[in-house]
Amino acid sequence: MQNEHSITMTSKTDTETGRTEAGSTRTTSNTGAETNTDETGTPDTETDTNTDTNTNARADGGTPANSTDDPWTDAGGSPSALLGRPVVVGVVVLTVAVLVVPIVMTFVSSFARTATGALPSGFVTLSHWRHVLGLGDYGVRANAVPGLTFSIAIATGGMVLNVLVGVPIAYALSRYDFYARDWVNTLAILPLVPGVVLGIAFLRTYPERGGSALGLIVGYCLLKSPYMVLTVQSSFQSMDLERLEESARSLGASWPRTFLTVIVPHAKQGILAGCVITWTLAAAEFNFTYMVHTGDPEPFSMFLFRNISNAPYLQSAAAISIYFCIVVAAILFLQLIGNRGFTTARN
Amino acid sequence: MSDVTLESITKAYGDDTAVDDLDLTIRDGEILGIVGPSGCGKTTTLRTIAGFETPTAGRVLFDGRDVTHVPPERRNVGLVFQSYALFDTMTVRENVAFGLEMRDVPADERRRRADELLELLDIAEFADRRPRTLSGGQQQRVGLARALAIEPHVLLLDEPMTGLDAKLKTRLRTEIGALLADLEVTALYVTHDQEEAMAMCDRIAVLNDGHLEQLGTPADVYRRPDNAFVANFVGTSNVLEGTITDGRLDLGFTELDGSFDASGDVRVAVRPENVAIGGPLEATVRQATYLGERTELVAALPDGTTVTLRANGDASYTRGDSIPVAIDADRIRVVE
Repeated sequence: MQNEHSITMTSKTDTETGRTEAGSTRTTSNTGAETNTDETGTPDTETDTNTDTNTNARADGGTPANSTDDPWTDAGGSPSALLGRPVVVGVVVLTVAVLVVPIVMTFVSSFARTATGALPSGFVTLSHWRHVLGLGDYGVRANAVPGLTFSIAIATGGMVLNVLVGVPIAYALSRYDFYARDWVNTLAILPLVPGVVLGIAFLRTYPERGGSALGLIVGYCLLKSPYMVLTVQSSFQSMDLERLEESARSLGASWPRTFLTVIVPHAKQGILAGCVITWTLAAAEFNFTYMVHTGDPEPFSMFLFRNISNAPYLQSAAAISIYFCIVVAAILFLQLIGNRGFTTARN
Repeated sequence: MSDVTLESITKAYGDDTAVDDLDLTIRDGEILGIVGPSGCGKTTTLRTIAGFETPTAGRVLFDGRDVTHVPPERRNVGLVFQSYALFDTMTVRENVAFGLEMRDVPADERRRRADELLELLDIAEFADRRPRTLSGGQQQRVGLARALAIEPHVLLLDEPMTGLDAKLKTRLRTEIGALLADLEVTALYVTHDQEEAMAMCDRIAVLNDGHLEQLGTPADVYRRPDNAFVANFVGTSNVLEGTITDGRLDLGFTELDGSFDASGDVRVAVRPENVAIGGPLEATVRQATYLGERTELVAALPDGTTVTLRANGDASYTRGDSIPVAIDADRIRVVE
């Protein structure tokens, strides 16, 4: 049944926008966001250019003697010194605004009763959330919570597997110079293929187990492993791995102990970043899940897909908001573990 | 007792021989310096003692016990690196206590001994900080405390002061030298800086191309270099060519009296401080470098050979000046 929608998801959504009521609402909101971006973007750039030329003129005309006399201390008069900070702040604020506004808008909308105008109205209702989660009388489908829990579990499984496999691979790639190292390096990045490709490969190779929870975990691990390997590898490369290891060994730590109590904790930031990326991407992985998974419980990406395509905007907003809430919670949780965990001293 | 003996150690990587048939003993309680240019095999020697390299041939003995194939974690050696290699995930105290933790020393005992060492190295105030927040000199003290905490059989220092600035280096080497002597630690001090080695070490081994060129006290090595390499590497030397007949050295432009044992064509080494200003020889200043308390001069002797010499910083010299010089015949050392 989902087969028809999935592959042409984007085009379908586009064609539908004009026709259904929900579709049009969605278009309004989308264009709204885009216009916002343009409005804030264009004048901002203009102001920058204006001030830039003004200051240039002032600096050149006003204090020529000073700048030739003492080119080093006169840096305060240069355009970059005057404008550098405001420009950087401006760009950051703009970027954050552009990225955050749609998310906030979506989140706020999910609690609105109507969204026919430029801004949603009729606050506050939980009906969309309840509907999406399949709670109460609204559910089009049975309770979505088991599916979400299942997704969290398999994404976590993929992530844990990635730590177990990715960290040693990253370590070996950073620490040892071995024959075929470049090949292993390439192989470690190779899974960055689209999920569809891996999905087909998986189904052909493991027709029995491909669609099971274990299949999903292994698939997620494989698909997202490059992110883990690359982040952890850069973490390892930024430290004096060999000397750290030799210090610990000379102080009496066996190799496994050195790895666990010294090397891994030093790569904590990289491992954490890798966890956040692999978890988030695995939780929302659509293509692979779609290819291999059948039946219940409904994985997260299927849930998102069902609630976004062919659904009213407010319902999509609720589904997306649920995804964001789970991702934010997962990231906060991982960071909490990261800040507290990995302590090596037992005293 | 804790001595270390290397018995005809050879370490080869493929066709490349890093250390070639090296015999060396670090005596109980001494600081033995290994100096030599980069690639001479000094770090390989240190790593062989630590257990990170297995020699291609030869044996490593700790107190006569063969440890050639004992893994590093069971050798009980202390390592201090140029790059400190401190554990940034731990506090300074935890760093120092790490080795004791690996030896399952109880927590309160670990803490007591770590604090004792931090006190000894004058860094007690940083005990709860992360190593990364300390200065280079302070970090190196932490590194030393960490290595000393396990009461190592031998302390191996690999260019420990190379990253530090000159003033701090001078202060630290006096301090650390005294501390190691007080603790009667047997140590191997690897450095490319011969001055540092002279200041810190009881004996110096000069290595070149995997071979031991000379082993002796700093004074021995400086005053009586065995060959031109040692003469040049340890301190500055002027190596001149000449002929000895009946104990007289003929340098071409002058003849010097001295009871020289050798005869025939030789090369001799003269230290800059043994070329004095004021004497029978006429030299032309080629280069004058003013260094405050002294001026270092490069001057050409009558036959065109250049020598380095030192003049009092009060007088000023310029290129082209003609100066009278004398070579102290008693201080000439025949090196080849």
